[in-house]
Amino acid sequence: MKEARETAAAARFVPGQPDMWAFVLFEALVFTAYFTVYVVCRTRNLELFLQSQAHLDLRVGVFHTLVLLASSWSVARCVQAARERSYEAALRHAYLTVLFGSVFLVSKVLEWAAKLRQGFGFTTDEFFSFYYFLTAIHFLHLLIGFVALGIAIHQLRSPLRRSQETVETCATYWHTIDFLWVLIFALLYVMR
Amino acid sequence: MNDAKSKRELWIGWWTLVVFYNLYGLLFFVVTRTQPPPSPSAEPAAIVQWFADRHDGLIYGYAVVFIVGGATAIMNATLAWTMRRMSVSRAFAYSYLVIYALATLPGMLLMGIACTVGAMRPDRDPALIAWLYDFAFLSFEGTMGVFLIGSLVWMAAVLLDKNGVFPRWFGYLNLCNALTEVVVAPAWIFQGGVFAWDGAIAWWVNMGVFVTYTAVFLTLIRNLILREDFGTGPLPELPTR
Repeated sequence: MKEARETAAAARFVPGQPDMWAFVLFEALVFTAYFTVYVVCRTRNLELFLQSQAHLDLRVGVFHTLVLLASSWSVARCVQAARERSYEAALRHAYLTVLFGSVFLVSKVLEWAAKLRQGFGFTTDEFFSFYYFLTAIHFLHLLIGFVALGIAIHQLRSPLRRSQETVETCATYWHTIDFLWVLIFALLYVMR
Repeated sequence: MNDAKSKRELWIGWWTLVVFYNLYGLLFFVVTRTQPPPSPSAEPAAIVQWFADRHDGLIYGYAVVFIVGGATAIMNATLAWTMRRMSVSRAFAYSYLVIYALATLPGMLLMGIACTVGAMRPDRDPALIAWLYDFAFLSFEGTMGVFLIGSLVWMAAVLLDKNGVFPRWFGYLNLCNALTEVVVAPAWIFQGGVFAWDGAIAWWVNMGVFVTYTAVFLTLIRNLILREDFGTGPLPELPTR
């Protein structure tokens, strides 16, 4: 009986505020709409998309993905450490997440700059319009992610403010950014 | 003033929101037929024909918009009242009121004026009519920044509030709505495709989010009025029937 209750409690448990999971759902729906439009346009003009896609460096995309996956790992370690009340370790992992996020941002800006220098701008063709649009809207989400990390760090720094729920909510947002990037990476860089 | 009378005033505000959102939908989609937006790449001759096809609808439809447009003050005041009921600073409600008073211009009036002028002066040079067409739709679609900041103000107020006026997920929905307002910006650059002012991403996805967002906040404000106890602290739960 007790086991059944614990299983039921575990099944109901979601990290952070359930409200943030509603946001994850909204964003997943909106991005699904963007991705659907992308796939429809790609199907209509497959040759152009394949030609333009060839100008993207898959290695850069893989690097971005690995950096963001590492940031997801560090934010998960941050949550775990906070749960164990190891707040110094939690802060270290939160700063590490900021570092990984910053590496992604700088690298993304460098990639855009390189593409622009090569003559591939927002209006070059339909593929590059999508490339800049999807990566830029993701970039914007990442900037908001830094605000979320800032809130988590602010909470962790003082015993008076520490809220496990807030830290987990911020981490959930950060994982969403990573999740969206993996899909964008698959669509723009991998799907050939 | 007793609570019943005060609630009656809030219900007037809420019904104004419901009636006018529906009325504007009817006027923009059915009477003037300016939504969904037409192609941004139409030639001047086609644009002149577009105005001719909608001549009466544009004139009478926007006449109604100009007559009842002041109702946006009641609508915005009702939205701002939700922030006044929160535990946050009054600055949120005041900022929201100012932003949405400004938003009335690109969100409604500029387009109405440009389309009415185009409909009432069909004998003008087609190049000038085409200019009015661009001005109407770019002012409407391309200037969503005011709505972006308005949504962020509401989001911050909901997330900081301690009175439980709205659920926190509504704060996050505001963020979602704000992010889709950014997506409209490429409408200034593209004259065709999914990012143009009539495009699948710049218009259709955005409109889907906006309609959902509007339906959600109308429902939440209704529940808020039902819960209102005219105090200053946390609100009671929604009464059960």
